[in-house]
Amino acid sequence: MTTATPVIEVKNLTKRYRDTLAVDDVSFTIEKDTIYGLLGRNGAGKTTVMSILTAQNFATSGDVRVFGERPYENARVLERLCFVRESQKYPDDALAKHAFGAARLFFPNWNEELARQLIEDFQLPMKTRIKKMSRGQLSAVGVIIGLAARAEITFFDEPYLGLDAVARQIFYDRLLEDYTEHPRTVILSSHLIDEVANIIERVLVIDRGRIIMNEETDAVRNRAANIVGDANAVDTFVRGREVLHRESLGHVASVTVLGALTAEDRERLAAAGLDVAPVSLQQLIVRTTQHAAAGAAASDEGALR
Amino acid sequence: MNRTVNVVRMQLINKQTFVWVPLIVLGASFAMSIAIYAVLYNAGIPGPFYGGGSQAPLWVLLFVGVSSLTLTFPFSQAMSVTRREFFFGTMLAAAMCAVILAAVFAIGGMVEDATNGWGINGYFFALDWVVASGPLGAAFFYFVMAMLIFMLGFWSATIYKRFGATLLTTIWVGIGVLMIAGFWAIGSFDAWVEMFTWFAELGAVGFAAWGLLLTVVLGGISYLTLRRTVP
Repeated sequence: MTTATPVIEVKNLTKRYRDTLAVDDVSFTIEKDTIYGLLGRNGAGKTTVMSILTAQNFATSGDVRVFGERPYENARVLERLCFVRESQKYPDDALAKHAFGAARLFFPNWNEELARQLIEDFQLPMKTRIKKMSRGQLSAVGVIIGLAARAEITFFDEPYLGLDAVARQIFYDRLLEDYTEHPRTVILSSHLIDEVANIIERVLVIDRGRIIMNEETDAVRNRAANIVGDANAVDTFVRGREVLHRESLGHVASVTVLGALTAEDRERLAAAGLDVAPVSLQQLIVRTTQHAAAGAAASDEGALR
Repeated sequence: MNRTVNVVRMQLINKQTFVWVPLIVLGASFAMSIAIYAVLYNAGIPGPFYGGGSQAPLWVLLFVGVSSLTLTFPFSQAMSVTRREFFFGTMLAAAMCAVILAAVFAIGGMVEDATNGWGINGYFFALDWVVASGPLGAAFFYFVMAMLIFMLGFWSATIYKRFGATLLTTIWVGIGVLMIAGFWAIGSFDAWVEMFTWFAELGAVGFAAWGLLLTVVLGGISYLTLRRTVP
């Protein structure tokens, strides 16, 4: 899967708003034809990064290259990108068909048939003005533009707000289906980590304006394991390992340990009668983020002293 | 270039804002003005009647200018349109709208002159000072007025979007203060007569030429402001 063809290269990107540092000296690359999950807490800098990559916002310093070029005022680059924001504004009094009509004009790969199918899937009302739509319907308009545009790089910023579970599943299914037929780069920012865990191929975690993880989803999953079984046996096994989280109920403990399990580990676990349960991506990222936050807080305190 | 033309189509994709609302306001204010003239004429007042109703569709363009930026600019960014394409496409759309209005006003003025004010000596389009420059001059005058008013809305919205309400308010208050200071200066130099003579000699076309200059300057400021505006 690692094609090593970066479509986006970011070097030392910093974005400072008056007194807050939204993006802090970040460098990363985005590979071609891959679905990325851009994960992080509210205010971590997800939207800011996506806005700068699409030249909607401006970097304070640093360098951004998309398809090898600077995206700002660069129609050649921009027409290959699509970024629909979570709080996207639409022209006054516009109907959904007006928005899709405009998208047809500007996105060279726009697929009308796909758009029509999605309108049906999401049961989007075509005679309601966009400003009168519910939160979920508004999100559906953005999702349809993002999918039907078939842009070479598509950014989805929390695309599911207000969408119910069924509609979210439709979005995930359609995204995956269309991606399989028309591979492209998708960057999906999300809070619902476990929901998107199955469709994202790489995880990009941003925390306090810094990228703290940019790895294949499977590799991230293998970074930790959940050991379940008799509390004493679990304790013996995890001794000397970095424990991310522990829960216990009576004599049974469930402990999440950092580090991939070796074949030897697995033999020991089997001998001790312990089970290995998969770690949820959400849990792992939450723990890692908390870890990083604790580390940052500690160093901040250190700096104060 | 093609994408700039597409911005025109995007601005016009919902015909209501750019085309129908100004035309409806024009039709309504025209009908109301003529109806009032007819009432006065029937009451035995010979006229001629003039009114300010023809300004109404021009002032609609102020709101068109505002909404073409505040709502359509963020949308154009989602459509991966560059700021340059957005600016020139939007100006082209406004110019098309202004051309249509100017044509309606010029032709309306000719009809009014030919029919002696619709037979009741009432004038909606043919304001003396404006039609004195001929139909083409009148068309130019109305075109510039439409563009200028649109630009005032667009420019204000750009400043607001980029720098916030405080600066915009400060600028407008500043303009107000400068105008009052200007009036005071004219008054204290006893120059009102000269002022009106200058105005009359300038004529509609000369006045419009200054208006065009102001429009272009505001357009330039708007463009430079827009280049660093975040949707």
